[in-house]
Amino acid sequence: MLRISTIALALALAVPASAQTIKLGAVLPLTGPAAVIGMQEQRGIQFAVDEVNAKGGVAGHKIEMLFEDNQAKPDQSVLLFNKLVDLQKVPAVFTGYSGPSLAMAPLAGRKKTLLVNGGAQADALDKASPYLINTIPVLAGELEVLANYLVADAGKKTAAILFENNAAGIAGRDDFLASFEKAGGKVLAQEPVPFGDTNYRPALLKLAATSPDVVFVVITSGTPQLADQVRQIDAKFTVVGSTFFSDPELIANPNAEGFTHTQVLINAPEGMAAAFKAKYGTEFDFFPKQYYNAATVVMTCVEKLLKDGKPVTGENLLAALKEIKTFKGLTTTVFNTNTAATQINMNRINGKQDNLLKVIAPK
Amino acid sequence: MDFLTTYIVLAEIYVLLGLSTNLLVGIVGIFSVSQAAVFGVGAYLTAFLLMHTALPFPVAVLLAAAFCVGLNILVTLPSLRVSGDYFVVTSFGIQLLATAVFTNWTGGTGGANGLPGVPAPLILGHEFTEPTEFIALTTIGMALGCLCFWLMMRAPFGALLRAIREDELAVAALGKSVLGAKVSAAALAGAFAGSAGGLYATFLSFVDPSSFDLDASIFLLTMVVVGGARTLAGSVLGPFVLLALPQILALIDIPTSIAAAARQLIYGLLLIVFMLFRPQGLLGEKL
Amino acid sequence: MLWLNLLINGLVWGCALGMVAVSFSLIFATTRFFHVAHAAVYGLGGYVSWSALKHGLPEWAALLVGIVVCGLAGAAIQKLLYERLDRRGATHLVILIASLGLSAVMQNGIAAIYTSNVLQYGLPWGNRTTIIGGALLTNTQMLTVVFGILSYLGAMWFAHRTVLGKRMRAVASNPFLAEITRLQPRQVHIAVMAIGSALVCIPGVLVPLDLGLQPFGGVPILLTATIAVIAGGVGSISGAFVLALVIAVLQNLSLLVMPGEWSIGITFGIFVIFMLFRPRGLFTG
Repeated sequence: MLRISTIALALALAVPASAQTIKLGAVLPLTGPAAVIGMQEQRGIQFAVDEVNAKGGVAGHKIEMLFEDNQAKPDQSVLLFNKLVDLQKVPAVFTGYSGPSLAMAPLAGRKKTLLVNGGAQADALDKASPYLINTIPVLAGELEVLANYLVADAGKKTAAILFENNAAGIAGRDDFLASFEKAGGKVLAQEPVPFGDTNYRPALLKLAATSPDVVFVVITSGTPQLADQVRQIDAKFTVVGSTFFSDPELIANPNAEGFTHTQVLINAPEGMAAAFKAKYGTEFDFFPKQYYNAATVVMTCVEKLLKDGKPVTGENLLAALKEIKTFKGLTTTVFNTNTAATQINMNRINGKQDNLLKVIAPK
Repeated sequence: MDFLTTYIVLAEIYVLLGLSTNLLVGIVGIFSVSQAAVFGVGAYLTAFLLMHTALPFPVAVLLAAAFCVGLNILVTLPSLRVSGDYFVVTSFGIQLLATAVFTNWTGGTGGANGLPGVPAPLILGHEFTEPTEFIALTTIGMALGCLCFWLMMRAPFGALLRAIREDELAVAALGKSVLGAKVSAAALAGAFAGSAGGLYATFLSFVDPSSFDLDASIFLLTMVVVGGARTLAGSVLGPFVLLALPQILALIDIPTSIAAAARQLIYGLLLIVFMLFRPQGLLGEKL
Repeated sequence: MLWLNLLINGLVWGCALGMVAVSFSLIFATTRFFHVAHAAVYGLGGYVSWSALKHGLPEWAALLVGIVVCGLAGAAIQKLLYERLDRRGATHLVILIASLGLSAVMQNGIAAIYTSNVLQYGLPWGNRTTIIGGALLTNTQMLTVVFGILSYLGAMWFAHRTVLGKRMRAVASNPFLAEITRLQPRQVHIAVMAIGSALVCIPGVLVPLDLGLQPFGGVPILLTATIAVIAGGVGSISGAFVLALVIAVLQNLSLLVMPGEWSIGITFGIFVIFMLFRPRGLFTG
């Protein structure tokens, strides 16, 4: 006890009295079935914040992250959002998953608190609240690129859709359906799988029976199992997907040979991925990278406010974000609206490598 | 203090649900694990009526409650034919069926995306948006629910229900209508759950299937058992304690990477210890 | 030949489900407790075997370690938790809540130690395929069928041919009589929990070998297995196993006529209606 308080005292003395700690909040699913993604998001944010704090903080201010566990439930999200804003006076709250984000969005507007979504891609998030910022593009833009590539460049005319039966999966299905048919292709069939279920066989068998050129897959986890099961049915179709395919475990799976996908460009500098793995024992995957990027965006806004001598409030953060507009985090993130535009790549997995086919610049 | 008022509003809504569950499980002895499904129908119906018709808030909630009266009678009817453990599992089938409908009936429920933008209650030209205003509605709702429950328990009807739980055959032999009593109790429980749903949907302005799944039904049972089955005080205390518990556990300092899981683990331990040493709950009669 | 593929796929999945159902049936028929923590024991088996494998044990030894740990865990749960609750006259509702608490402890303990990520055993032989009856099956799936049938036969032999099994059925059919005739129901309960828990380790390893390990992966499979146990008729091992096969096949074949989002809902809908007409299950008099 004495030792802890001595350390605390030493820490307190080390920081100049004027440089107060800045508290930021996050409401994510950290337990229960949705924690598989929520925990990754948490690690991404914490990794970015630790890195900044190790370098002395943002303009001399340390950042403190306050994580709350909503188990992906909307009522808990609202309660915890109020807790962070009321008791801790945080100016910004990170969120993930579409349901909880939509439940907190009206509150963010009323409380003038920045709500930062770095992972959910449902279209409804785009205009849910002026205070909801999406640091990842909604799926529609990405899937338009994919559909155009498939029909125009690769000559694929027919598709079937395998989607996760949640907000992310349904958004993916609807957007792909619209874009693919607009590009001149035809969607033959669609099948859902429950979230968290990695048994895709019945759905795959049914889709394969329609003999499509491609099967578009939108699932957020369990992609290595998907690759194994596709190989097992000796599929004739090409598997295509979105940015969720940029999973190191999938890329390393020999059964993922030929999988083609769009990717919201996000690259970690050399050494960062290794440092992340050394710290947490898990890969620096898509979700930690996205939340690292989201944290970088928010901390850049905080830095600007501190340098301008303005108070760090949600309202000021939003204004700073609109003013800075272009952020250089793990990728160039541009805010023309509340939703970021970033570069999108077309990739194909070959020989356990994710190879670049084509680059599409942000609109 | 929106945090505190939000907590009270949610707890008051759960008190209505606790009364509904307690009435069926504790008082009549119908072991239902599908109360969250009825709650969900109330929430979705209120949301749908407010978003697609010009009905005022009180009418929408009353309609939703009335519909849930019918629905709850329907889902508890199997208890007349299927008894004991078999009914638990039947009820559990009903819950899973309801979740499937909430998740997949995109036209009515918005499917897995849920329904965002449910309008706030508008009563006599005043909009109840902030938790500090909304608390008036939930407090009135809870008070009415408690009053009904209290009056019912004091009336001969309450004694009849308790007698049915103890010995259904004896009650029937005395010439009392077991069916009538069970149906009335189910109706009242349905009204509680339905109106709780209406308040929940308008308070959050968002509904999605995750609030009304099997976990939610089991949470309602846990509230009743921890608070104390069969008593009014237990139904009121249970939700307040169980909703506060995660916030109290959050005060324990644990390294970030396992904090959330460790707190859930402690929650589980508390439940076990509590069941071992106080199975009748905080303010309940012995089960 | 979509229907044939779906049928075979359903039968394979039914064997996995059947093992969980048979193990739960043994426990539920004897104790009548809603042992929902069975899903956590299923998870425990998978994770313990995964660790044993990562520590260099051969596959069969890793599975054996899992089976032993699960068996011990089952006996401990009965002795330390359910028996105490039962002695204090706890109702089934109270035991259910305690069992839920235990699930929360075990599953979150697993999540804290192993993270919530989907883990893989990383055994390439598991994914190799052979053509059987016009469908391609992986080695894991074939093992599932073999173990499924062996588990069913083993459980039948245990219940009808061994002394302990006969005591178990006596306790299940009349606990009061068992008490006064010195069948020692409490000991029987512990033995049955140990056997049921050891048995559930087999699907607990085989299913994740195929589909990946998740801390909460046991919950959906136990839910469906419970339905099979009740609809099959409590106490009937054959009922539980056959109904598990029927449910899995129905869920697969239903894809021929309707979109997959409704297959689970329809299965439970059919179950509810079925219970109204046969309130004591299929395989009971």
